[in-house]
This record gives sequence, structure tokens and C-alpha cells, in this order.
Amino acid sequence: MSTTSQKHRNFVSEPMADKPVTALAGIGDRLGHSLMEQGYDKAYVVLGQFLLLRKDTELFCYWLKDVTAANSKQADDCAQCLKEWCDAFL
Amino acid sequence: MASTQLTDEELFSQLKCFGYTPGPVTENTRPVYLKKLKKFREEQQQQRGKGRVSGTSSSSTGAPRPVRHDVRRLSSGRRPGLKSSVLGFSSDESDAETPLKRKGLDHMKRPSRSPHLQQQQLKIRAATPLNEANKKQYGVGTALKSNSFPSPDGQTSASLGWETGKRSMHDPESRDEDVNDEVQNSHPVNGRSAARLNTSKLAGEYSDSDEEEVGGPGGPERDRRSLELRRIYTSGPFATLVDGRGSRIGGKNCALNPLGNRAMAGGREEDEERGKKGDLDASGGLRSHMLPRKSIYVSLGEDHRSNTGENNHVNSEEGASGSNMASVALRPRYRASYSSTLSPQGGYSNHIPVQNHAYGPGTQKKKPTAPEDELLLQFKREEQPSSGSFSAHYLSMFLLTAACLFFLLLGLMYIRMRGSGSPGGDGVIKSHPFGSNFDSSYSKTEKDVILKLLLSLHDHLAIVAGHHDCGEQQYASRSLSREQVTQYLLAQNGDFKDFIDVSLEWIIRAGQDVGIRLSGQRADDLVTDVSEISWLESTHPRMPFTCRFRRALLTVMNKVLVVAVVVGLVCSVVFYVKYRWRREEEETRQMYDMVERIIDVLRTHGEACQENRDLEPYLPIPHVRDSLVQPQDRRKMKKVWERAVKFLSANESRIRTETQQIKGADFMVWRWIQPPLSSDKSKMWQGKAFPLDRRNSPPNSLTPCLKIRNMFDPDMEVGDSWDLAIQEAILEKCSDNDGIVHISVDKNSKEGCVYVKCLSAEHSGKAFKALHGSWFDGKLVTVKYLRLDRYHQRFPQAQGCSVPLKASSLHQTPASCPLQHGGPNSSGFS
Repeated sequence: MSTTSQKHRNFVSEPMADKPVTALAGIGDRLGHSLMEQGYDKAYVVLGQFLLLRKDTELFCYWLKDVTAANSKQADDCAQCLKEWCDAFL
Repeated sequence: MASTQLTDEELFSQLKCFGYTPGPVTENTRPVYLKKLKKFREEQQQQRGKGRVSGTSSSSTGAPRPVRHDVRRLSSGRRPGLKSSVLGFSSDESDAETPLKRKGLDHMKRPSRSPHLQQQQLKIRAATPLNEANKKQYGVGTALKSNSFPSPDGQTSASLGWETGKRSMHDPESRDEDVNDEVQNSHPVNGRSAARLNTSKLAGEYSDSDEEEVGGPGGPERDRRSLELRRIYTSGPFATLVDGRGSRIGGKNCALNPLGNRAMAGGREEDEERGKKGDLDASGGLRSHMLPRKSIYVSLGEDHRSNTGENNHVNSEEGASGSNMASVALRPRYRASYSSTLSPQGGYSNHIPVQNHAYGPGTQKKKPTAPEDELLLQFKREEQPSSGSFSAHYLSMFLLTAACLFFLLLGLMYIRMRGSGSPGGDGVIKSHPFGSNFDSSYSKTEKDVILKLLLSLHDHLAIVAGHHDCGEQQYASRSLSREQVTQYLLAQNGDFKDFIDVSLEWIIRAGQDVGIRLSGQRADDLVTDVSEISWLESTHPRMPFTCRFRRALLTVMNKVLVVAVVVGLVCSVVFYVKYRWRREEEETRQMYDMVERIIDVLRTHGEACQENRDLEPYLPIPHVRDSLVQPQDRRKMKKVWERAVKFLSANESRIRTETQQIKGADFMVWRWIQPPLSSDKSKMWQGKAFPLDRRNSPPNSLTPCLKIRNMFDPDMEVGDSWDLAIQEAILEKCSDNDGIVHISVDKNSKEGCVYVKCLSAEHSGKAFKALHGSWFDGKLVTVKYLRLDRYHQRFPQAQGCSVPLKASSLHQTPASCPLQHGGPNSSGFS
């Protein structure tokens, strides 16, 4: 079993609905603020970006690191979380 | 490539060229795709370049890349003329006449600093294949190494690289090939961004030569380096080291003492330093790990003349003899931490260059650069300020030397004070301890004579005593007899003759100690009269300077030794305690590990016994041990095993220790007495993950067909009727819903899909509500609606089903047992 955080599991277990962007795994307060400032205030907006990149985790990581000051681990966690969510619910 | 000018379409198509289908290029995704494009291009170039580079490994053929061409041309152009003059640091040494000897020197000297080098070094370290270019490698390495030297700009490093190239030219062919490599090396040295390939290739050669020479891949750890160095030491005969140093010594030293080097800016005379390696003690080598920190001390307290300029760097701030003296003088000043490490450090730093020497006594092979490289690298990593703070570093070095000078002066003054007694002078002696009577009894000239007499007597006695104390043979005894005194005084000055007795009498009369002790026939007799005086002795011996030094030195050394011994004892005690503690911990951990393994074994055995009634439910202890512990480990693990057994018998409630007879012999056995837990392998429903409401489920059921996902994992299923179990489980879950007419488990689906058809949309809606979002067997189940026609396409047999299915009572899983007994009628499955 891979090591996923509690946040990841929480997010992936149910449809994201209106969850804020800080509910994503890897996105904490700081990154959350950073994303919200740019207009990504809800998790589904970030999901939109992920889908635009054709659900490619690598590209998503690039994008996230670009847009925020995320480090590799955070970006990876977030991408993974979104990917799994998509696998489960899309 | 002006990737910034690409339009969206162009970006799109370019990405497609690489075989990658990008999503829409919007303002958000544009930078991402640009990065991706860049990455693709780099990969492409790498592949292309790799092919090219491998073709031209160490031959002098033209480099495929234009940058390399430039460097080559430059290097070849520069080669003939360059000398050490380029690099200011220690420009004195190195001259081209003795390339063989000097190579290392020059290389060392050249500060070629660039932060890139560190990375290069790292890459180099990681390299692979082996090359023969020993010397050259070394030179390159040293050139690279001198990274630690502050360099004002990349130029010097460039010239350094070329210089080394030039130098290598002196040597026969083997060198020529390496020039390329060197050139390649100077690539990063110059700060030009060489392709990774170059450096990695170089790194390969580099490290290979290291391997070759050092006898093992040079690890970045200092310990490994010291290990290698030790190896080098043992392999290299010291005798050869003592003679002229020459080549690389400085290099190594420089590598190891970047700080010292920085401090020692200025002309160095390496030549006189040559061949002055005195005593090299092997223990110095073992201190290599201390070296980085103590580099400064080494530089300060070097009592060996450093052989090369680099050593000069390392050694001291001043020139040769001055520094020697200074270092000696410094010794008494510095306390334990310094002096005890000074000499070994000095020895060590001497060693390091020496080892180079050992390797290439005549052939000028540039030897182990790896250890120094790594050490240097570490130095650079640890202590290296960025090249920008070049002056700051010099400043710190300067301050350090100033402090040392200060201490030196202090020491000198101290020693001088200690040794000398009253400041003598031929001038008029104004003060004397004889009181006012003296003044009044005699006239001025007489007074002067008397005082002068006394003074000279005092001095003479002091000298005698001093020399005697120092152990010089000419003065057999500390005290002088009266006749001798008289003789001496008369020799000094005829006038004294009359006043000898007078002055002696005055000495007796003086209440205080005037520096002369008078004694009678037998020693320590107090004399009260002049006639009784037979021996005169000085109470303030004045020893010669060297003697004083020596004594002071010895005193300090003794004290330092005592302190060091005490500290050593304490340290050893501490270490021993720590070691024991660690051992204890380790053993405990092993014990717990063993306990767990035993429990596992017993548990599996117990479970096996459950199924297979033929097995005995207990296991003999020795058998368990022998199955867990390898034969070769048994003796080692004996203690651990004993502890584990004891632990189990005391703390483990599920295992009972008893004695049984097995095949006629009594054995201590373990019996697993835990009743089997309900096996969690069974499939059961485990609750709902989230409440179903409008958000996560369709408002009304759409079709009568459902696709249920994540019910199982096809790879993990064991047994041959698990699909039936799954069907059962679904039926149970929807037991209140009697509208399920068809269930099909797709055994091969990765997602664990089950297809369900219901009588009507309403039934399927109920089933949806029951199933969606529940946990089954640890997996979250999701449900979605399928189109009826598709379902019928896939499962034609379902078209005709209309009998609701019920959970069967035949297959009773534990999940079902407590809840209900399955319906009395066994359902027929389609």
C-alpha cells in the first residue's frame, strides 16, 4: 500500500463538491493562499486545470510549481490526489 | 530557439512532433507546455550529443560541439606561452623548466574557482569507465581542485586549465590525449556551460584514474578519503617522500587547506622548502578527518618546511625560517587543542603531498587526486564561500594572521620576561637595597665601584647558575668559591680589589635578597661574617635564551600532556559507555525482532493446524530456532535467542510454553493458543463512506442497469468461487430490494466491475443507494448507471431475466451469519 496521507484519503473518498483548494493533498495554508490569490479558490478549479493538461501529473506538477512556490513533493502529492480522484469519480 | 515567439498553434504542433499529444494551449497551460518542449529538445540534444561524444573519447579529434572547438583553439593557442604568472596567488613558484616537478605546484597554485566545479566534481565522482591518463587526470583534478582558491574571475581558472594542458604537453603522447579531457575540464572551469556529457565523461575518466590509483572509488566521505589516504600511506614508502618534493605536494596540500592557502597570499619560496620534510609521522595521516578544521592550525604551526609553494601556503604566514621560529614560538602559546594537533597536522599535511610523490617518483604521474579532490570538494562545500566573497575571505585570513602574530609577540615577550632577571645596565645604579647607610658611608665614586662590583658579581653568578641549570658542562657547580669570585672580579676591574670584602659585607648586611646567596663551608650555612664566606651563589639565575625556551616548552608540553591524557581518559570512558549502550540497544532490537518472527511462525503454524488436523499444534523450541536462524548465525544469535525465549515466556499470552514428548524425547515446546480470529479475508461490507445526497448521486435513477466498480481486485483473489461470494455479498447488501435480476462479475476487469440489472429504474435506484459509497473489503465501491441497450448487448442473457435474485443460504459468509440466514430458497443464478 502506498503511503498516502490522511488528507489524500479524505479527498479521494468522496466527490469534492465545493471543497476549498486547501482540501487537496499537498496544498497547505501557504500554497492555498497563493492559489486563491490567483483565482483558484475551489478544488474543482484546480481540477479543471488538471483536466486541461489531460490529467498528466508531470505537466500538472510543472504548472503548480510555476504558479505557486510549491516544491516537488507538494506538487506530486496534489497531482496524485487529483489523479486518483479522477480515477474514482470521473 | 525563440520559444517565446511561438504561437499557440506552433507550440501545439511542435509538441506533437515529439510524439506527445498536448492538451489545449491556453494562457495557463502555455508555460507548462513551453517547459515540456524545452525538455524534449534537451533530451534530443543529449541523445545526439551522447552519440557524438562517445565517439571522441580521449582522442584529439575535433569536438563536435562548437563550444569545445573554441576552447580547444584557445587552449592550444595559450598553451605555449602561459606560465604561472597568470594566477596571482602564489605566482612565484612554478616555472616551466621543471615541468615534471612543478606540475603539481602550478596546478595547485592556480585558483580556479567556480561554483560549477563543485557540481562537476560531484559528477566526476560519480563516473565510470577507466582511463589511463593518470598524470593528466591528476593535473586536471588539481586544477579543478584549486577551486578552493579564490579567483577573481573565471579567467584565471581558464588559464589554469590551459596551463595544465600546456604542462601536460611536456610529457609524451599519453598527455596529448588528455589535453582534450583537460580542455573539457577547463570547460566548467571556465564557467562555460559545457554539456553535461563532457563533464560526465571527464568525470568518468577522472574517477577512473582515481580508482586506479587510489584503489577504490573515492567516496565523498571524509572517512573514506582518510581510508584511502591511509592506504596510500602504507603503500608508499616514506623514504622516497623525504627527498625533494616537487610535484604534487602542494596540490594536495592546497586541496586540503583551502583556508590556509587563502591566507598565505604572497610570494612563497617553495624552493628552499623543498626537501625539508623532516619527520613524517604516520599518525598524521590518520588525522585526516581533522584536517579540514585544523587547516588553519596547520598553516600556522607548521614546523616542517613545506616543500612546495603549496605547502608554503599551508604552512605559515611568513617565510621559511621566520615561520619556523614563529611556529615553535607559537607552540608554547597554544594550548592543548592546538599544540597537540599542530605537529601531527603539520606532519599530515606534509604527508599528503608526499603521497603524491610516492606514486610518481620519476614518472611524474599525477597521482591520487581523488582523495584530495573529494576532500577538497568537501572543503569547498563546507567552507567555501562563494566566489563573490573573495575579499571577505582574504580579510578573515588577514585577521587570523594578525592574531597569530600578536600571540607570537606576546610569547616572545613573556619568555623574555621570565628569563631575564633584573635589567642590567652599565649605567649608574641608582637603586640598591642597602639602605641609606650605604649612601652615607661612601663617596660617590666608591659607591659606584662597589655597586658595579656587586652588579658584575651578580651577573656573573647568575650566568653561572643559569648555565649550570641548563646542564652545560663547563659550569660544574652552581656556586662559585670565593677565590673564583675574587679572581673573576679582579679580572673585570682592578678597582674592585679593595671593595670585594666591603661589598660582601654589605650583602650580608642587606636584609633582603640581593640576588646573591652567601654560604659557608657547609652549604646552607648562614654567614654572618665576611670571613666565613666560601661559596657564592645566585638566586636569580639567568639562563640563555634557548635554554629558557626549551624549559618553557617542556613545561608547557608536560602540562598539555597531562591535560590531554585526562581528556583522553574522559573521552574514552564516555565512548565506551556510549558503545555499550548502543550495543544494548541493538541487542534489544534484535531480540524484539526475533520475538516477532517467532510469533509469526507460531501463528502460521497454528493456523495451519486449524486446517490440517494432522499437525501437532505445538512446535519445539529448538526447531523454531533452527528454522529462523541461519546455521552460521546460531552462535552469534544465541544470546538474542535466549532473551527472546525468556521474553516470550514472560510476556506473551498467546503462546504457552510446555514440555512435550516428541518421538521419545522431551522437548520444550511452544503452543499457539490464540483462537483464530474471524478471518478478515472474508468479504464483508464495512459501512458507508459518505451519505448519498443530491450532490453525489443522480437525482433519480436513470436506468435499470448498474455498473459497480472497485468490488475486488482480480489479481488478489484466491479461490475459485470468489465471484460467487461477491454476488452473494451484493445480494445481501440489497436484500431489501428484490428487484435484482442479473448479476455478472467481470473477473478480468482491473477495476473490479460487477454488472447488475434490476427490474426497473426504481429498483436500481434503491440498489444504487445501497451500494454507492460503501466500503467493501476495504475498497470504496462506486456505482453508476448503464444504458440498458448496452447492457443487453453485453449480456444478452440478461434480457430474459425477470426473476429477482436472493442471497443464497448455501454460501454463508461470516458477514451474513450474524445478520441473517440466507433466504430459504436457493436462488438460481443466471
